[in-house]
Amino acid sequence: MNMLEVPLEIFRYKEGEPPHHDTFTVQVPETAHVIDAIDAVWAMHDRSLVFRRACHHSSCGSCSLRVNGVEMLPCITRVKDVWDGRAPLRLDPLRNFPVVSDLVVDLSSFFQRMSAAEMTITCDAESSLPLSVDDFAVSKIPSRAVELPVNLSRFNRFENCIECAICMSACPTMATDEKFFGPAALAAIFRARQKTDNPADVAHLLSLADGEHGVWRCHSAFECTAACPQAVDPAGKIMALRRELITRRFKKR
Amino acid sequence: MRSPQVLIVGAGSTGAATAHDLALRGFRVTVIERGEVASGTTGRNHCLLHSGGRYCVTDHESAIECIDENLILRKIMPDLLELNDGLFVAISESDLAFKERFLEGCATCHIPARDIPVKEVLAMEPFLNPGVLAAIQVPDGVFEPFRFCLAFLATARLHGADVRTYSEVIGFVRSTNCVTGVKVQDRRTGKSETIGADLVVNAAGPWAAEIAAKAGVRIPEVPTAGVMVALDCRLNNMVVNRLNKPSDGDIVVPQRATSVIGTTSWVVENPDLISIPPEHVARMIRQGEQLLPEVRNAPMRAKMAVARPLIARPGEDARQVSRTFECFDHASDGVNGFITIAGGKTTTARAMAERVADIVCKKLDVDTPCTTRELPLASYRLFYQ
Repeated sequence: MNMLEVPLEIFRYKEGEPPHHDTFTVQVPETAHVIDAIDAVWAMHDRSLVFRRACHHSSCGSCSLRVNGVEMLPCITRVKDVWDGRAPLRLDPLRNFPVVSDLVVDLSSFFQRMSAAEMTITCDAESSLPLSVDDFAVSKIPSRAVELPVNLSRFNRFENCIECAICMSACPTMATDEKFFGPAALAAIFRARQKTDNPADVAHLLSLADGEHGVWRCHSAFECTAACPQAVDPAGKIMALRRELITRRFKKR
Repeated sequence: MRSPQVLIVGAGSTGAATAHDLALRGFRVTVIERGEVASGTTGRNHCLLHSGGRYCVTDHESAIECIDENLILRKIMPDLLELNDGLFVAISESDLAFKERFLEGCATCHIPARDIPVKEVLAMEPFLNPGVLAAIQVPDGVFEPFRFCLAFLATARLHGADVRTYSEVIGFVRSTNCVTGVKVQDRRTGKSETIGADLVVNAAGPWAAEIAAKAGVRIPEVPTAGVMVALDCRLNNMVVNRLNKPSDGDIVVPQRATSVIGTTSWVVENPDLISIPPEHVARMIRQGEQLLPEVRNAPMRAKMAVARPLIARPGEDARQVSRTFECFDHASDGVNGFITIAGGKTTTARAMAERVADIVCKKLDVDTPCTTRELPLASYRLFYQ
């Protein structure tokens, strides 16, 4: 097994102490992911390092952070894909959230938004076979659609969004309006909207999207879509909500 | 009189479900977890909601427990499950020879099972090995271990539990022969404090032996790792299991846009840092492609390994160690007020918690029945709000 000697420059913060970066050098297999390198720092060098992780395969969304300034999930990011072989790999917590300690941020504002958006994490009546992670693509590939078996009225699956909050960190609008609903929650409103035809529910969801801190605040930078590890395309969903809101305004007249 | 204070070490599925159960029964509950919720064994999980099919030939007790809990979880956390059923498929003649015993096992353990014609199953699962000889449908499902734990803990909090993450047990407070509290260090601040307790429940999974050692107690735990490989595409709607006795690489669990192949089994020294043997990854791919041939062409999204908390029984190899759980009352080791719960699996965490809570009640002379079978859990998002 070929090994890499990777220097990591990690953001450190403990309550009451000045924030700084610490550098550690760890040995990991050349096939290792960034989370394995962080694990090695904690296990071999510094037990006080605080970071989040659970699933190690991009389903929990907990390990999100910035690698050399860019939001990523370290569990699916290979060291050799982001390290130039020389300069330390810089690890920082997500932006636009208060830092709790080291690489951990306080996500309460994110989950409040997701609760307000009322997205359930399972989506009904969708076959999950097509090999794309884009839920739009799913409906566009009828040739791959499978015949549903008699006793399975439908296949269901979790939403692609894993609530990693990467989009809220990458979003430039968040930095100018801290009450901005944010990409994930607006994408969630779009998904909830797709799932209902009930006029009262639709009106409620669209009024959330149409509010002062809703879709019109977005600068259309598309940073969220670029950073999303799950191909949710929040910016695309924000544009779709804008289209629906505009169409409805014209229809009213 | 104030209700008794119970301190739980570990916020994996066992600790989370136990906190929930005890909080509902009126105990004052504190959960101490050194990392994020589910950052240990529970988090790095197949995500399989067992139907019990996997155990219906080799271990009836486990199989029955699985199907019972499967049905309960559908009621208490309906939003946290992908419910697409599972298949047990025969690829070889030896698999086929296992079929009758499997169907008998399902009947014995009251697991619904349907023998599906090969043509029909290939229509349901186009990526299945076209050489499939038989397929049986069972009510397997998929959950998300992280949100599974968050939901239990969020509900426990609504009932008064104090859940402290990033807090590590650094020692025990003892009177002569009794644990009376725990020394805890907050890893976010470096500050330490002592928390008193009428009883401490050690639910630290493969780290349970390490925690017990801090209280001066030895438990025969064997941290046993397994490798899982997640693909960068989803090849199956339903869980696909190999129709045979449990073995390495006998399952492909789909979830969202991935399929996860699992698993292997080997004993590790240090559960904190497991190095993934490349040959185990290669074996997962080889075994997986027998079930779903496209596995060999699929890009890999992630690979992970984690230790399971298996309890050693002399003369048995790692796979034969019981999958049902063990509960140690350390009064028999001369230490009162301290119990360890180890083993088990996430699907049956609620049942395990119920039995642990019954033991806690008995020890602390509380007579309140369990209500976790019926009560739907709160939204997992409340954990962070």
